[in-house]
Amino acid sequence: MADGTVPRIVGKDRSGASAEVTPPKPGPLLSARGLEKHFPGVTALGGVNVDVFPGEVHCWIGENGAGKSTLIKIFAGYYQKDAGETVLNGTPVAIEDPIHSLSLGLSFILQELSVVPGLTVMDNILLGHEVAVAGNVLRNQQASRAEELLESIGFGAISPRALVADLSVAERQAVMVARALHLDANVIFFDETTASLGSEEAQKIFAVMSKIKSEGKAVIFVTHRLDEVVQVADRVTVFKDGKIVESGLVSEFTLDSMVTKMVGREISKVFPEKSRAPGDVILGLDLITTARINQISLTVCQGEVVALAGLVGSGRTEVLESIFGMEKIISGTMSLGGSVFSPTNPIAAIRAGIGLVPEDRRSQGIIAMRSVEENLSISWAGRTVKRGWRGKVLGLTAEFIDRMAIRTPSPRQLIGLLSGGNQQKVIVARWLATNPKVLLLDEPTRGIDVGAKAEMYRLIDSLAREGLGILLVSSEMTEILGLADRILVMRGGQIAGELGGDATEEEVLKLAMIGEKTA
Amino acid sequence: MNLFGTKLLQFMARQRKNPAIATISILVGLMIVFSSLSDRFFTIENFQNVSRSVSAIVIVGCAVTLVMVARGLDLSVGSVLAATAVAAAFLASNGINLWVAYLAAIGLGLALGALNATFVVGLRVTPIISTLGTMNIARGIAYLITPSAILVGLPDEWSLLGTGSYFGMPSPTLFALAFIIIFSWILNRTVLGRHVYAIGGNEEAARLAGVNVNRTLFLLYTVTGVSVAVAAIVLSSRLGTGDPNIGIGFEFDVIVAVILGGTSLAGGVGRISGTVIGALIVGFLSNGLNLVGVEPFWQYIAKGAALVIAVVLDRLATRESRPRKENPKSSEGER
Repeated sequence: MADGTVPRIVGKDRSGASAEVTPPKPGPLLSARGLEKHFPGVTALGGVNVDVFPGEVHCWIGENGAGKSTLIKIFAGYYQKDAGETVLNGTPVAIEDPIHSLSLGLSFILQELSVVPGLTVMDNILLGHEVAVAGNVLRNQQASRAEELLESIGFGAISPRALVADLSVAERQAVMVARALHLDANVIFFDETTASLGSEEAQKIFAVMSKIKSEGKAVIFVTHRLDEVVQVADRVTVFKDGKIVESGLVSEFTLDSMVTKMVGREISKVFPEKSRAPGDVILGLDLITTARINQISLTVCQGEVVALAGLVGSGRTEVLESIFGMEKIISGTMSLGGSVFSPTNPIAAIRAGIGLVPEDRRSQGIIAMRSVEENLSISWAGRTVKRGWRGKVLGLTAEFIDRMAIRTPSPRQLIGLLSGGNQQKVIVARWLATNPKVLLLDEPTRGIDVGAKAEMYRLIDSLAREGLGILLVSSEMTEILGLADRILVMRGGQIAGELGGDATEEEVLKLAMIGEKTA
Repeated sequence: MNLFGTKLLQFMARQRKNPAIATISILVGLMIVFSSLSDRFFTIENFQNVSRSVSAIVIVGCAVTLVMVARGLDLSVGSVLAATAVAAAFLASNGINLWVAYLAAIGLGLALGALNATFVVGLRVTPIISTLGTMNIARGIAYLITPSAILVGLPDEWSLLGTGSYFGMPSPTLFALAFIIIFSWILNRTVLGRHVYAIGGNEEAARLAGVNVNRTLFLLYTVTGVSVAVAAIVLSSRLGTGDPNIGIGFEFDVIVAVILGGTSLAGGVGRISGTVIGALIVGFLSNGLNLVGVEPFWQYIAKGAALVIAVVLDRLATRESRPRKENPKSSEGER
């Protein structure tokens, strides 16, 4: 495949040339041709064609699961494509692994930055490519090289000798960019890097992007904030369900047309009918403020499914954590079943009748090396230490395995060996055993297959019908629209607006991404 | 030979899913080797001897098993052993009632265990550093109580507890048996035991499921302190002295026994029965090497090698037998 070519040199030629030449439109730096990627039960990419030209900021937008990240991971060498080809500078190249990708002149600035906080700025920039003689690092030369790189992207104010740990997030991203430039990167991917930045810091990163493109390199920018797209993009590509629905100059788009292009999918029949009749208010939050959320007020009624929608990082999980006693509440009050409720830890919340199905099942939900029975009964068993509890636990487990159709060879099976959907059912059963009043579900169908998702939806519906109040956080729009009686949309740690269960995807996305409510 | 060695290692690694079989086979192997080397090895007297000498390791090992299953560690047990032994002996030699002296020693063990717990749970210091601190503090206390040397002039009844024999078994062995039964019951039959496994298996998940992680860990370290005090009383009663120098390297023997017994360093896995077999391996190894006439220095090397081999086996086993992580397809749904 990549036999004999020395990609780094090719890259250097290209960047040098394209800065000078403008008139004949240069060929794409990077292309995908009919790329396909399939996972069990899911087509992540179904024949994608993209061209990225030198000297442009190219925004990739789309819902969660639309295929942007999969495409990036193929370019980064984390995934191998199933069909199609990746083309660099007109030459098809099979990207073998992340190191190969780097040597081809591709760099990736991800949300979780791969900087070493304990090293200085210059050591980070030149990590693995130190300026050294016989292993002895030439510090002054390193410093001047780092300074030069940072200067070139407008971050000359950062001292090369500062510790990365002392830098802001935007400055750390600048360090990553400087590192990419040192490695002669031609195409730099920014994957939702501005999601964790304030608007002022984001502006600095946009300035870096313009600097990069003015040197004839290309920037690929994945973002969920459409106002940013309008501001920085030269071209926009819209992803939906593993395909590209539209690609063109940014001037051809409006905010509204971008949202419309991203959605427009039918809500399939997987969702039960919304004929529930909510009862009295069971959970109420009044102006709850913690370190990460601001003045949240909401109510959940018995037999009601309330959804918290919003982008990753908008504070949805933090609302659930504050209800579950995991966050220190600075101001505001909560009530549960009519009485004041102020949990300071999960145990207090559980005693009061709250259950939380956490976001990351593997690290927060299951205890993989223990049995289904132990995982199911752990919350319930803690409350009752009378004699004969083990017999009761066995009975209870059998009952829930039966009632929720948990597919396991026996209650003694290690939970880690079950499928994701069945693990999640065990976690839900864990709470049902404690007879809760309110169930908090954080991404309850993440990482489980389509069939199991439909089962989970029916389960959530039937629990609500039995009178449980359910507060749901999900990044999957169809799930929110298909399940919720009411939708609260969050943006930047606050509630941006409330919508009914019959809201459209456009309405939710507008609130979440732009912060304005459509008429 | 080399191939055979690899095969054997792989076999043992596989068998560690069932820790009892693997550790028992090591134990049996040791006994066969030493029986063929010394005719004094395979005798009732020698077995009584070994069971007596490992009783302290078993008593403390039971408690430390719980701590290590919960993903903790206790390096202070050797020094706490010395401090509590000397405290009891000091009070007894000054004419205080023997039972009051014992009670005081248990109180001191409890206090030192609580000190560990405060460091680990309250101040969030890692267990290895916390207990290393307590290790030195306790050794200091032992020397403060008796600055000069071994305490003598103890009352005659001092030796009753540790030298008696009932049902054909030395009394230290009976103490060890009692601890085995109690701690097996705790670990297998109580809610506390399930919480211990849950904390070691996934502390965050346990906390979110409503397990009082802090209280459980506090209890485990405190119980370990008390268990050490009991072991100290039995041991120094058998030896007939109160010696501030005892228990040097004891923590090592205990940890080797627990790890040989199949308790995972990563927590969440382990059994009392395994620890007992591990302790017997440690005991028979020293005893056999003594009988064969190997110099004590070589015994250190043998024990050190045993520990490293046990840890390597632990890693091989965890790599093979843990439920596999989900494949990364979920990443699509996460963005």
